Amino acid sequence: MTGPRNDVLVWLALLALLLLTLGSAYVPLGRFNTTLHLAIAATQAALVLLFSMHLRTAHPLLRAVAAVGFFGIAILIALSLADVMTR
Amino acid sequence: MASVLSTVAPQFDDAEQQRAAATLGMWIFLATEILFFGVLFAAYTLTRVRHPEAFAAGSRLTHVTLASLNTGVLLTSSLTMALAGHAARTGARRALVAWLGLTVALGAGFLAIKGIEYRLDFTEHLVPALNFAYAGPRADQVELFFFVYFLVTGVHALHVFIGVAAIAAIAVMASRRAFTPAYFTPVEVTGLYWHLVDIVWLFVYPLLYLVSRA
Repeated sequence: MTGPRNDVLVWLALLALLLLTLGSAYVPLGRFNTTLHLAIAATQAALVLLFSMHLRTAHPLLRAVAAVGFFGIAILIALSLADVMTR
Repeated sequence: MASVLSTVAPQFDDAEQQRAAATLGMWIFLATEILFFGVLFAAYTLTRVRHPEAFAAGSRLTHVTLASLNTGVLLTSSLTMALAGHAARTGARRALVAWLGLTVALGAGFLAIKGIEYRLDFTEHLVPALNFAYAGPRADQVELFFFVYFLVTGVHALHVFIGVAAIAAIAVMASRRAFTPAYFTPVEVTGLYWHLVDIVWLFVYPLLYLVSRA
C-alpha cells in the first residue's frame, strides 16, 4: 500500500515529464521528436498504471487484463502498418 | 460490523471477495476502453503515415499553450483522485468529500479550457465540414488532420464529462456517509476510470499538439 507522499512524488514526476516532452518538441530532432514524445508518454502511462492504479501491488490477474488491452492495440497498429507501408 | 455485513451482496463470501470482483470487472471494462481508443490511435497512425506534411502543418495550428495547461490540470486531478482514495481508506469523510469535489472542479476546468480551445478553432476556420478554410498546400489533408483532432479530443472530452459526473455522484454518496474504511469500492473503481482517461490524454497531447513544433 502506497502513502499520499508517493502520489505527490508521482504527480511531480508526471509534471516534469510534461515539461520535458513540451520542451523537446521545440528542439529539431527530426523523426526522433516523435520517438521521444512516445517514449515519454509511455513512461508517464507506466507511472499512472503502476502507482495511481495500483498495478505494482495488484493481483497478477489484474495485470494480465490490463496488459491485454495494450497488447491488442500493439497488434492492431503493427499489422495495419505492415499492410500500409509495404504496398 | 453490521454496516460491513450490509454492504456485502449475497453472492459474495465476504467484503474482500466482493471488492476483488468489482476491481476485476472494472479492469475488464478498462481493457475494452483501451481497445476503443486504440482504434482511434490506429486511424491516426495510418493517416499520419500517409500524409506526414499535412499532419505537421495541421498540428502547428492547434493551441499548444491551452493544451499544455490542460495536461497539467488533468494530471493534478489524478493526484486529487488518488488522495481521495487515501481519505476513503482511512475513513476521513470530510477529506474524501473535499478531494472528490476538487477532482470534479479540475475535470470541469479541463472541459472549460477545451471549450475555449474549440471556440478558437471555430473562429480560426479549423472545423472540418462546418467552416474549414486553409490557404496553404494540401488543404484537404490538413482538413483530414482536423477531422482526426476533433474525433479524438471529442471522444476523450466525452469520457472526461462522464468521469466528472461519476465522481460528483460518488462525492454526494460520500457526504451521505455511504463509505467506510471497510467499504469504499465505488471510490476506488471510479478512480481507476479517471486515471485511464488521464492516460489516454497523455498520448493524445503529444500526438496532436506537438507533431512539428521545432
